[in-house]
Order: sequence, then C-alpha cells, then structure tokens
Amino acid sequence: MNRIATFAALAAFTLAGAITAHAAGNQLHLYNWNNYIAPETIKRFEQSCSCEVVQTYYSDNEELLAKLAAGARGYDVMVPTSNAVDALIRGKQLMPLDKSKLRNLKNIDAAYLDTPFDPGNKYSVPYAMSTTIIGYNDVKMKALALPTDTWAVIFDPKYLAKVKGRVTVLDSANELFAAALKYLGYSANDVDPKHWDEAAAVIRKAKPYWAAFNASSYIKELTVGNIWLVHGYSNDIFQANLDAQAAKRPFHILQGMPKEGAVLAVDNMVLQAGAPRPDLGLKFINFMLEGRNSAELTNLIGSGNPNKDALQYIDPDIRKNPAIFPPKNVQAKLEQLKDLTVAQRRLRNKLWTEIKAR
Amino acid sequence: MRKRSLALVAAAAFGYAFLYLPLVIVVVYSFNDSRLNAEWVGFTLDWYRKLFADDDMLVAARNSLVIGVCASAVSTVLGTMAGFAMHRWKSRLLPLLVLMPIAIPEILVGVSLLIFFVLLNFTLGLVSVALAHIAFCIGFVAIVVRARMAGMDESLVEAARDCGATPWRAFRHVTLPLIMPGVIAGALMAFTLSIDDFVITFFTAGAGTVTLPLQIYSMIKIAVTPEVNAVSTLLMLTTLVLIVTASRLSPGLLRSQQEST
Amino acid sequence: MSNDAAAARGRRGKWLVSAPPILYLLVFFAAPTLIMAFASLRSPGEFGGLAPLRDEAGKLDINLDSYVRFFTEPVYFEVFVKSVLFAGATTLLCLLLAYPLASLIAKSPQRSRSLLLLLVILPFWSNFLIRIYAWMIILGPNAAFAHAVNGVLAWFGAEPVPLLISSFAVLVCLVYVHLPFMVLPLYANLEKHDPALLDAAQDLGANGWQRFWRITFPLSLPGVYAGAALVFIPALGIFAIPDLLGGPNDTLIGNLIKQQFLETRDWPFGSVLSIVLTVAALALAALAAWFGKRATRAPAIENA
Repeated sequence: MNRIATFAALAAFTLAGAITAHAAGNQLHLYNWNNYIAPETIKRFEQSCSCEVVQTYYSDNEELLAKLAAGARGYDVMVPTSNAVDALIRGKQLMPLDKSKLRNLKNIDAAYLDTPFDPGNKYSVPYAMSTTIIGYNDVKMKALALPTDTWAVIFDPKYLAKVKGRVTVLDSANELFAAALKYLGYSANDVDPKHWDEAAAVIRKAKPYWAAFNASSYIKELTVGNIWLVHGYSNDIFQANLDAQAAKRPFHILQGMPKEGAVLAVDNMVLQAGAPRPDLGLKFINFMLEGRNSAELTNLIGSGNPNKDALQYIDPDIRKNPAIFPPKNVQAKLEQLKDLTVAQRRLRNKLWTEIKAR
Repeated sequence: MRKRSLALVAAAAFGYAFLYLPLVIVVVYSFNDSRLNAEWVGFTLDWYRKLFADDDMLVAARNSLVIGVCASAVSTVLGTMAGFAMHRWKSRLLPLLVLMPIAIPEILVGVSLLIFFVLLNFTLGLVSVALAHIAFCIGFVAIVVRARMAGMDESLVEAARDCGATPWRAFRHVTLPLIMPGVIAGALMAFTLSIDDFVITFFTAGAGTVTLPLQIYSMIKIAVTPEVNAVSTLLMLTTLVLIVTASRLSPGLLRSQQEST
Repeated sequence: MSNDAAAARGRRGKWLVSAPPILYLLVFFAAPTLIMAFASLRSPGEFGGLAPLRDEAGKLDINLDSYVRFFTEPVYFEVFVKSVLFAGATTLLCLLLAYPLASLIAKSPQRSRSLLLLLVILPFWSNFLIRIYAWMIILGPNAAFAHAVNGVLAWFGAEPVPLLISSFAVLVCLVYVHLPFMVLPLYANLEKHDPALLDAAQDLGANGWQRFWRITFPLSLPGVYAGAALVFIPALGIFAIPDLLGGPNDTLIGNLIKQQFLETRDWPFGSVLSIVLTVAALALAALAAWFGKRATRAPAIENA
C-alpha cells in the first residue's frame, strides 16, 4: 500500500505541475530559428502590445516544412527562408498579409521586395539575410599562402592538399551543390542534370581532403583551431570570430566572399494560414520592420539586413564588413536558391547519397 | 563464501569510468567561462545565473520532467502487463506490436503520429507528446519484464493459487515482487528515453510546447552553451533527489523481495 | 472450482491483461504507422508531404516507384549493410562492457544494489547532445587521449589519425549511448540467479571460468537477448551520432531516412527505407529469439 501511495503522490505532484500550464491569453506564437531575435526586442514588443510572445524553435527550414506538411497548426508568425516560402505559398500554407497594417514596409530596400516567388509581397516580408561563404583561420591561411576569395580553395585538390583534414563543408546537398555549380561557372539554380553530374564529380574529387560534412559543430572546431577552413554561413563565421576573440586566441576567423558568387539566404516573416492571432502577428511584423528593432538582430549575430531604416542603428564595424553588407558588384553575383521539383529533388538525393556513401 | 573476483570488480570499475568520464566533463564544463562547449577557458557561475533567469529553459525542463514521469508510469504499467502476457500466454501479436515502435525509425513514427493527431483533430501539446512517448516506451518495459519472467519459478505462483489466492492476489503478492527488478529496470529505461527524446517530440509537440531536448537541439547550429550543461546537471540532481526521497518514503520500493522457500 | 469455470476465468484473465497494451499500441502506434506505410505506395507532393490521393483525372495515385528505386539502386543496400555492421559491433561491445557491470550490481548486497543501478543510468538523464559534446572534448585533438594514441602511432611510423570525426568516434558514442539498455535487462536477469548453484559447482571442483561459462552465462541468455534486442534495433536506425561525429563516409541508413523527410521531402521513399529497416530489424530479432529459445531449453547444468 505504501508503494502505491508514494506513486500516487509523485503522480499528483507532477500532474499539478502540468496543469499550471500556459493560461491562454494574449499570446503570439512565434516559430523561429533559435537565437534569431534579440531578447530585448521581444521584451519591448511584449510591452508595446501587452501580450506574451511564446517562442518555439526549429533549426532547419525542412523541419518547418515537414511539420507543416503533416498538418501542424497553431503558429502565428514563422520565419522561413525564400525557397521554403516558395514551397509554403504553393502548398497554400500561408495567410495573405494585410498591407494596411504594415506601414513600415516602406523601410525595406526595394531590391529585396517583389521577388519571383512572392510577387507584390502578398505573403512574406524580408527579415534578415545571410550568405553561404568561406570562413577561415587567418593565421593558418596566410602561412599556407592559400587564396580566400574563391571556391577553388574548397574544391581544388591542389589547394586542398595543403589543408587536408582541416576543412569542413556544410552537410546540405543544396548548399554544396550550389557552391560547386558556382565554382564551375554555372548558376546556383542550374537544373541541367549534366551540370549536376559535373558538380558531383568536383565534390567527389575534393571529398577525400575534407574532414567532415558538418552543419552544426563546425563553428566550435573553427574557434578552437582544429579546423582551418569552412564552407559555412556568414552569421556563424561572424560569431566564431567573436568567440575566438573572447577566448583570446592568437588568430581571427575571417569571412571570405568567393569571387564566383555565393548563395544568399533571405529569411522572411510570414503568417501561417489559420493562425490563431493574425492581428498580433501583423503587429509583430510591423514592429520588426522598424529600423531600430531590425538592427538589434544584426548587431547581435552579424546578419545581413534588408531594412534601409536599420542601417543607422547598426554597429559601424558590422556596417563596413563586406561579407555582411556586400558591395554592389558582389551583390550581383549572389543568388537566392529556388525550390526544386520532385523529380529534381529525387535526382539530387540520389547523387548526394552516392557522394556520401562511397 | 564466494570471493568477488578482482577481475570482475576491475572490469565493472572500467565500465563505470566509461560511463562517468563524459558526465564529469558535462558537470565541470557547466562552470566553463566560454560560450562553446569546446575547451576549458575559466571558472564562472554565470551559466547557472543565466539558467535561473531563463524562463524558457526552466519551463522546458519542467515539461520534460512531467512528461517523463507520466510517460514512464503509464508505460511501465502497460509494459508490465504486456511482458506478463507475452510470457504467460505466448501471444504472437504482442511481441510484434511491442517491438515495432522500437524498430521503426523515429522520424516515421513522429510524422505519422502528427498526421494521425491532425486527422483526429487532437490538440497538440504536452498530452500528445506524452501519448507518443508511452507508445515507444511500452516495448522496452515489456521486453525486460518478459526476460525477467523467463525461468521464473512458476511453482511459487501455483502454490499461492492452491492456497486459494485469486489470480490478482497471486500476481500482486508473489509474481510482482519477484519481477520487481525487471519492472524497475523498465521504468528507469522508459524515463530515460522520454526525457531525452527529440525526434518524436519535435513532431508531436504543439505550437507552444517546449521540452528540454527541443530547446537544446534548436541551439545545435548556433552553440550549445554551458547553460545546457547547467540545466542537465540540475536535472540529474533533481531526479536523483526525487528517487532517493521516494525510496526513503517507501522503503523496499526499489528492492525485490526474494521469497525464501 | 470446475474446470470450465477455471478455463473461462483463465481466458478472461488473459484478455484483461493483454487488452490494454494491445489497444493502446493499436491506436497510438499501429494506426498512424499504417498511414505512413501506405504512403510508401504514393508519390511525393510537389512542395512536400504526399501527392493527393486522386490526381486531377481522378486516377488513384498508387505506385511501386519508391520500392523499385530501392531495389534497383545498389547504393542504398550498401548503406544498409554498413548500418547492420555498426549496430552489430555496438551490440557486441555493449555486451562485453555491460556484463561485468550487471554482474557486479547483481552480486552486491541488497542495500547498495539500487544505488549502483541508479548510478548506471544517472548520466543518461543529462541531455544527449551535451554528452556527445563531452565525448568530442575527450576525443578531441587537444586532449590526452588523442595525444596518447597518436603518440603510439608515431612510434610505429604511422600517420596521426583523426579520432574525433571518424568511424571510431561514432562507434564509441554508439556504445556509450546504448550501454544502459544492455545493463538493465542483464541485471534484471542476473539478479535472480541462485548463488547456491555456483557454490555447488565450486564444491564439485569447477573453476571460475567454468562456473561462468557453463552455469551463469547460459542462465543469463534471456537477459542477453533482451539487451541485444534493445541495443541492436535502435542502433540500426540512429542518425544523430553519425551526423555529429561521422567522417565523410559514415552515412548510415538512419541518416538516409532523415534526409528523405528533412531534405528531399520524399516521404514515400523515406517510408520504403523505414519499412525495409523495420522488417530487417524484426527479422533479425526473431532469429535471435529463436536461437534464444533453443539455448534456454537446453539445461545448462545437466552435464556439468
């Protein structure tokens, strides 16, 4: 009897904890990348709207897409990248935005508005950007006399031989193929199977020199000095440098923009179709379109910013960084990734599996 | 009087060392003055301070504990029943039904449960996560209970029945105490699986539901800071304290009663 | 009590006990899984998920494309074989490590047993990622272990090997993560072994090794098979560890399945891979169970 009583007590205690769950009220459900909004910004918004922002996170667009494709509901604002927005619009998962509530939309640089996948910005509004570029340990690269402004340093065995086992690339078929296609001189969105075969061949030739396909812990390894050269996201590389300086390391982690061009990822704010509180969602989006709020994220993680009004609030060092705010001639070579068709995705996965398994 | 062989103790000690070496690092690095879990830089209590100010992380930890206790309790009961049934009546359906959640890749289970819940218009939240966890924990408990019952001395149970005990009383006072180590082992495994599950939880969690693994895995592409070490250390301590308290309140809770003949 | 009444009681008892777990699993597991198993016969949706069941012409979208793809492209089978090898090695190593641990705990005095058991499982209540990161620190190139290993290799004139991102690291972590699931079932079985048997054998002149091999081990086989099932089957489908620690070649079937759902949005093919994995895992488990039955049926002390 004693045992049963104990179990019952434990169960009651924990159930009590469960029942004191969220009291429903003024809540905005924000589904976002982790560390993709400054805590101060959230607090200010909560004060300005007298509501609570409930944040949940994902770490990859595909996680968001899979969950939504299986039918998950209950989110208000989400922050997918452009190709995911493309898929969501065509899958009818988004709610059109009421422009009359988005007075600050004029702050966005026209170059980032009116995209091919969302003409007229019916469903999405640009939030922040990053590029997929080269990150490197400046001391090591100088010592080895390697170039840092071309994809060749990631793909060409003659350079790779000097850094064998010290290079990582992203564990993403889309990103790696895009980089290889750019290196070969094609567009990152090229869908010619022959070009894909060429890209796969380039990757296969370079693979023996790479330490790993890694999308998560490569910043750590770069900061600690085990890895000297990465194919990675500009925000991550910026952060790696901050960490390296904080740990007083004898080197810097710098960003290298390849001259062949790179992938630009623009993350956008959208409303989920059937969102519980679209009114709060629109308020939030309008709030984030204010220059000051938008700038806080850039100052925090070094992300690119499509908001003209934000430029005055951004750290001068970050503002001058050509990898975060590329000059016009480089901007011309940046491409946003387009979503692929089923057949193309299957082909790419087949090539990717062969690359990774053999 | 058997002497414990030195070799056995040494091998077991090596086993414990293997288990605890990473744990020591986890705890020590919760005091590391670096955002990254990569190298020792210096000592600081900042991460614990940050943890106690971090409502999100604390709520996530609480949710994980709640779901863990509920899921392991229910799955232990259902799993013991299943293990008992598998042993006693040699059913064909049960072993299959019970092993499949373990065999099928978590992603598939997660996506299919989400589709299923949406079809039923079931609100996603803590409850949906708990239901999902119970489904895959039952198997672990059942397998261990069945293994424990294999080779059990049935004559004791028969003796009890001959003395007039109903099947339930025979189970409660004879079988259950004998299989208790198996039941406890199963419950411990179920709890462990539940508080650390990511994939299935990711798909079955509602829009406002966070558990500790969900919170932590979303940090994977940025940096898993020592705050996570801190919350892990505290979670382990809390659970240890809870269990020790429970066993003090009810001595013999964790012990098996070997009936001496 | 008449025989009929007793038999009826027995049947009712059987259903009373079996029904709740069966029902629960049928509703919350079998039904959803059947949905996805059915998905293996469909086509992937253009933007994700599944294509509509009936296309514009009203034709039913059922096909075997994904199955054909699996059976005609050899690379998938190769990855599959690699996964079986990794899972098998993990199970074996877990067994070797877990047996002494479980034995020690089982032989300990009553009071310390619970504590020792708790100590085994305690580390696993910390988060999985953190434990892996801890292993990355232990196996990292700056740590003592790597220095030692590479020192030895250098002595033999071999090149230093990357310990951190390699099959070795994957195996170490696979073993680490699955160890308690071998210790606990083994313990549950070993705990009930009657020490009198071993005393008797010793009196009859059996040495330590003989006592173990001819008495203890055969009696522990149900526990061994339970532990092996609870390690091998999950290890077969794991993807997080190769993702974090694996070298460029360490892609396992779990990674492939994850890619189908979280990269290619090819649910039908992911479903096919999962079905093949499940069938293989269950077949191997059934095989092991069959061996187990044969082994436990043979009395171990008969010819001692």
